[in-house]
Amino acid sequence: MLTVTLGVCAWAAGAGDSYTPAERRHWSFQPRANPAPPQFQSAADRAWATQPIDRFVLDRLNKAGLKPAPPASRRTLIRRVYYDLTGLPPSPEEVEAFVKDASPNAWPKLVDKLLDSPEYAERSAQHWLDVVRFGESDGFEYDTHRSDLWRYRDYVIRSFREDKPYDQFLREQLAGDEMAGNIPSSPEESELLIASSFNRLGPLRKNGGNQDAAYIRNEMLIEMTNVVGSAFLGVTLGCARCHDHKFDPIRQKDYYRIQAYFAKTRHRDIPLYSAEEEAAWKKKDTAIAAEISRMKKALPLEDGPERAAGEKLLQKKQLEVPEPLPALTVVEDDPKQFTPVHVLTRGNPDATEDKVSARPLGILLPEGTPELPDDTPKPRLALANWIADPRNPLTARVMVNRLWLHHFGHGIVDTPNDFGRMGTRPSNPELLDYLANEFVAGGFHMKPLHRMILLSHTYQQDYVPVMSAVAKEKDPDNRLLWRFPRQRLDAEQLRDTILTVSGKFNPQAGGPSVIVPIEPEVVGLIYKPSQWVVNPDANQFYRRSIYLLEKRNLRLPFLDVFDSPDRLLSCARRESATHAPQALELLNGAFTREMSRAFAERLRREAGPSPAKQVERAWELALSRPPTPLERDRALSFLAANPAGEFTLAMFLINDFLYVN
Amino acid sequence: MSAHAKPTRSRREFLTDAFCGFGSVAFAAMLAEEQARAAYLNPLAAKPPQFAAKAKSVIVLFMAGGPSHLETFDPKPLLNKLDGQPVPKEFGTAKRQFIKGPPHLMGTKRTFKQHGRSGLWVSDLLPHTATCADDLAVIRSCKSDAFVHSSAQYQFFTGRIIPGFPSMGAWALYGLGSESESLPGYVVMPDPRGSIEAGQPVYSNGFLPSIYQANVFRPGKKPVLNLDMPAGVSVEQRQRTLRLVHDLDSARMSPDDDEFAARLNTYDLAFKMQTEAPAVFDISRESQATQEAYGVGHPVTDDFGRRCLLARRLVEKGVRFVVLVAGGPDVSQWDAHDDIEENHLRMAMKTDKPIAGLLKDLKQRGLLDSTLVVWGGEFGRTPEAQGKGRDHNNTGYTMWMAGGGVKGGVVAGATDEIGLNAVTEPHHLRDIHTTVLHQLGLEQNALSYLHQGRRERLTEVQGQVIQSIL
Repeated sequence: MLTVTLGVCAWAAGAGDSYTPAERRHWSFQPRANPAPPQFQSAADRAWATQPIDRFVLDRLNKAGLKPAPPASRRTLIRRVYYDLTGLPPSPEEVEAFVKDASPNAWPKLVDKLLDSPEYAERSAQHWLDVVRFGESDGFEYDTHRSDLWRYRDYVIRSFREDKPYDQFLREQLAGDEMAGNIPSSPEESELLIASSFNRLGPLRKNGGNQDAAYIRNEMLIEMTNVVGSAFLGVTLGCARCHDHKFDPIRQKDYYRIQAYFAKTRHRDIPLYSAEEEAAWKKKDTAIAAEISRMKKALPLEDGPERAAGEKLLQKKQLEVPEPLPALTVVEDDPKQFTPVHVLTRGNPDATEDKVSARPLGILLPEGTPELPDDTPKPRLALANWIADPRNPLTARVMVNRLWLHHFGHGIVDTPNDFGRMGTRPSNPELLDYLANEFVAGGFHMKPLHRMILLSHTYQQDYVPVMSAVAKEKDPDNRLLWRFPRQRLDAEQLRDTILTVSGKFNPQAGGPSVIVPIEPEVVGLIYKPSQWVVNPDANQFYRRSIYLLEKRNLRLPFLDVFDSPDRLLSCARRESATHAPQALELLNGAFTREMSRAFAERLRREAGPSPAKQVERAWELALSRPPTPLERDRALSFLAANPAGEFTLAMFLINDFLYVN
Repeated sequence: MSAHAKPTRSRREFLTDAFCGFGSVAFAAMLAEEQARAAYLNPLAAKPPQFAAKAKSVIVLFMAGGPSHLETFDPKPLLNKLDGQPVPKEFGTAKRQFIKGPPHLMGTKRTFKQHGRSGLWVSDLLPHTATCADDLAVIRSCKSDAFVHSSAQYQFFTGRIIPGFPSMGAWALYGLGSESESLPGYVVMPDPRGSIEAGQPVYSNGFLPSIYQANVFRPGKKPVLNLDMPAGVSVEQRQRTLRLVHDLDSARMSPDDDEFAARLNTYDLAFKMQTEAPAVFDISRESQATQEAYGVGHPVTDDFGRRCLLARRLVEKGVRFVVLVAGGPDVSQWDAHDDIEENHLRMAMKTDKPIAGLLKDLKQRGLLDSTLVVWGGEFGRTPEAQGKGRDHNNTGYTMWMAGGGVKGGVVAGATDEIGLNAVTEPHHLRDIHTTVLHQLGLEQNALSYLHQGRRERLTEVQGQVIQSIL
């Protein structure tokens, strides 16, 4: 049972800086074990469990009296692995080639091809951007665009593409600027500087009038600190900001000691514009501001049509306010602007208690480990090195769990950002440690780990719809993986698939984010409609979802309704709800409307006028398989009496399209 | 939003959530299998409250920008006496967003009178609201944590001064489900002039599944996005298309596949919504007298009047939570920095009559008992002058509630003699949240959602039910 008993502590918490043995015994704070893959007696078991992952999985299944599902068909596998690794469906030609490929190497070949594809990197980056709450605007009332933050997105994609070791990846993000030193390259070319944008990803409050500098500084420190816990360590560090953590052995002091690594970190905007451009911008901005102020004063005091007209003109004028000039949003150390970090009573920056200095989490250190001096050079790099240390019990476990989650829909630990006591226990702790050990031993490369998982029989099981009585009793949630889990396409997969199937997909990679048109009434719901400047090139509207602008205060209705996260807090695992507004979006939304027409045209173009051939092609493109005779009949009789665009729309609505086995 | 919804999380997890962590797994395990299946298929079906509820629906009248308590419900004779003088030391100080240097007090030009049998004080800024005095519970001692708009607005709706957390309406839907299958359960009607400063995240479901998201109505006759069929598609055509979807799905689906059944059901529900909801949005079906009472048809009150009337039509049909926003961007809100008189007269004119119309109409139809109406902004305004205007004041301001089991004609708490700080029975915003939940039959701690290691709640820190108004 996953039930947790709330409010009852199983251990007596240690006081202050010391930790009780019971606190230290929590599984995720223990060094990784070195479990040997289990051995099997029966020939059938030995035949199935040919590699360590399968042996760990089968052992658990056997103990629960469960059996793995039979292997999935080639057709199922190729669709599964395409979505899994690239977020896109396979082309009918790729499906047929794979189904016909009799060589025993067909599967590993396919896996390697996909791991090597640019789409793999885009898909993996999407997962990471969820975790780090990547958004391209400040949030709060100004919601100013961070017009060059796409460079960080592209950096993440490149990192996955080249299979950058995870320890390096995290060092660069936390401390790229500190690592860059005097590297002679222009700022926009410096991977390391761009990586350090990681520290700027959180929402940022700006306000007019008097500046409450201490509060705003405190908010920046909170954003930089909390994400270290959720993204890298899988601990809910933020819970210890106002008081000692209620469930985990993280003291309030620990929280502020992590924060102290950021004490001299400052925002740095590196201009990507010339002095002339700046002068021109200022001139335009000042002129429009003056005009706006004049128009405001000229508004009739009395409400009514005249004032309404004046307000409308005013709003129109505000569209002319120029967007900020391009700049790299990175960080730097500035010892002159060092913020002494104190423990804050209930997190209140006006209520300072003891001053603290940088130190990693006490629960993972010997008792009495001293803090670092405040003048330690490159403090964030020191933190990154501690996190990336192969002996850190959390880092590798947390990351391999994320990788597992994206293959199977659930992590081995089902709360990927929380490996503490409120999180779930690992469903297979030996497997988790085995994978983490392999990850570390392989130099923190991700592709070999993916490969190992994908080549396992565990991954290649079928999705069997029927649940046996034993499964219902012992493991109704399939945590032990007695079948492959069926998964709904997530928001981006769905949008990208519809684009692909209808032949509209624009595969262009990288570069500035795209703003697509949405209904004017929806744009009117943002505070500054002037910020939604639609890209002039319509072909850009068909790019992959990862290249669309992630504006915090205006989520695209299509992505929002299918549970794309709001980019305000770290999202470890997508929700996947099922509700009527999704149906309304698919049935009546402008996007599916346009795409269903394009899909119908594509069918005519590629299959000719014959409805039978069109139906055949529709199934191949949308579902990677031929229709069953019953499906073919139903589709044909519908096509005989209805517009082709309604038929293709129906293809976007059916369960076999929306879910992957 | 009404309808079949299901987080793909496991069924057991789902049931834990469906009962809001309240009793959770153990409770869910006691349910008969059939009940569990029904709840799984339609998690937005109305759920019983945790204890006997007074209110079934909530209407929040959000006065964006921050209306002044000093010009509306909180008379301060001393403030008028001290007009133009520095703030006497004994009242302390507060942080201000715009006022610089040592501030001077500013009296009000409004006149206060006692109204109704209760003798509740209301200023001449709100003559129509004053006629409902005996239905209002005025809380004069509100306080909150932020004095800039965006943060204060996040706190008003979500309990936190940062964005990313679920809004009150999402919590209500999560706790109680929806009474209507053909209408969204949680509706926001923004000011048609545009967004408030904090933007969309104030209405958000945050980390709650998208089932609990707000339906933000658009201005005009077609408020719900994608509710209308595309041009050129007939109802009959749509029915045939949906028939095809059913035929194709059922050809391959196993009969006990709840997840697929739930998905298929969403199409039926969407169809039901698009055929039934537009009639509810059509306020021309109301009598002339009713429309008149809300100020519909008069240039100044037409917009807010229509939205108030629509709010009544929605709660009448079982919509759980409605947010009405008076005030959009910039100069169109209650943010009276430049001139308190000019701004507040204008904003009051737009909203006063419609609000009184709403309260009276709800009462006359017997809906006020089951509908909690909440009025207020993200903060009040300073007793200190900012030119002819007033700055933001989050340390002492007024909100009111009406209906939904709240006593009428009562006052709770008090600010000091100049209206600067809440001093008697101070009520942090979380007390307002706690009370709203309480009237809905929800207990603040029991209504929780496990998110990244914490049982998150609307109130975060324990709030108090404002007993004196119940």
